[in-house]
Amino acid sequence: MKTMTSSFFEPLKLLKNLFKKPMTLIFPMESLPPLEYYRGRQLLDPEKCVGCGMCSKVCPNDAIKMVEYGEKKCPEIHMGKCCFCGLCAENCPTKALEMTGDIFIAGYDKTFAVYDPEKLSHRE
Amino acid sequence: MKTQDTSFFTIPFGPCHPSSGHFHAVLTLDGEQIVNVEPDPGFLHRGFEKLMEYRTYLQNAPLVDRICILDPFAAELGYVNASEQVLGIDVPERGRFIRVIMAELGRILSHTTWIGVTAMVLGQDSGRNIAFGDRESIIRINEIVTGGRIYPCFFIPGGVRRDLPDEFPALISELFKRIEKNLEQYDYLIFNNDTFRLRLEDVGLLNAENAIDYGATGPNLRASGVKADVRRDDPYEVYEQLDFDIITQEKGDALARFMCRRMEMEESMKIVLDALDKIPDGDFKNKKFRPTSKAGETETYFCLESARGEQCYHMVADGTDKPYRVKVRGPSFSHTLVEFPKCARNATIADIPAIYWSLDPCPADVDR
Repeated sequence: MKTMTSSFFEPLKLLKNLFKKPMTLIFPMESLPPLEYYRGRQLLDPEKCVGCGMCSKVCPNDAIKMVEYGEKKCPEIHMGKCCFCGLCAENCPTKALEMTGDIFIAGYDKTFAVYDPEKLSHRE
Repeated sequence: MKTQDTSFFTIPFGPCHPSSGHFHAVLTLDGEQIVNVEPDPGFLHRGFEKLMEYRTYLQNAPLVDRICILDPFAAELGYVNASEQVLGIDVPERGRFIRVIMAELGRILSHTTWIGVTAMVLGQDSGRNIAFGDRESIIRINEIVTGGRIYPCFFIPGGVRRDLPDEFPALISELFKRIEKNLEQYDYLIFNNDTFRLRLEDVGLLNAENAIDYGATGPNLRASGVKADVRRDDPYEVYEQLDFDIITQEKGDALARFMCRRMEMEESMKIVLDALDKIPDGDFKNKKFRPTSKAGETETYFCLESARGEQCYHMVADGTDKPYRVKVRGPSFSHTLVEFPKCARNATIADIPAIYWSLDPCPADVDR
């Protein structure tokens, strides 16, 4: 282990920090890009969905409700209840649901948090 | 202690105190000296044990992450092992190795956070910044491997949810290079710093006999000189195939507990590298487990070594797809409710953050 030295010039070591890159990002201007497998909000492919309701059965927080969409049933997800565990996407038999890196889903009222099949099937 | 005597003075420590982490204790003071500590848990109670009775074995996996936010892998590891025993499911060897690797990364994650918070409450902000930088780089690996940053939700009964990525060994060697470099910084700023050592030496003494009596586990017990570690005493997963030492210290004061944790970080890095060498190819998940799998009518008790001590699960199954009862034994419970008042008695008020954080409790784990 290195011991503490008490040289007179020791504080000058701090000067080298002036030439280093900053360690943090200034958030609204720049943000850390989510990685490949990041579990953000879900994306629905209504053509692949067969309406089996597996996603709503495995959801630990009861965030998914099956609603009428066209001629079949598709999931409607309440993002306020969702814990982004990704079990719905993992257990989907036709892989109609997938987790995306979209994390900017905050809104000004509660209705914004409810993602119906239409809203769920669009990116952004 | 209720008294009208003006020589005693009571002040609350927490629940909204920067160095208590949402734990409430009432301190009774005689001048600068602490006469009595009355812990008052419950601020973070969320009722996990009851919630687990309403969820299936798969749905409980994301839930148990929340028991201790700083050490989610250990909570998951205990839960999935207990549920595998009641479900009667085997786990492929590769799945077990991946679990051990991630659980040890979780231990390093927890200890870096602890270094950061300890440095902060004892007035060393540079240490805090470096430690939280390290934490961020481990969290980034969590994100790459599991998809979640703080709550990985990675272990499920029957294995793990995803295989390790191909670039994982490279990521780990890069991470460990960084942590090893920063460990020198921690030594310089914290562990070998005279100001720090003077604040920690002979503070919050806990001898071996008392530590066992008070229910201390993990680094707190090992710092008192007792060589006890569930990973070695009752090996689970693949720990019997791995080489590692059990770190012990003699003195049992706050400094011994600090050094114990600091050395455990190096030991955990050794375990991860060893496990990466020995990891076999093959399946990482037993496909027999379905979201609707039913358990037999049985019960089990499983305990493991988390970053803070022994984490145990007593699970009773009644033949349905949901557990009938789950009892969680968190390590922090005895650390805050028994050891903290005993260690803090007769100390001065300025020593409270040092004693409290040398025990490394997690209030979320105390209240559950």
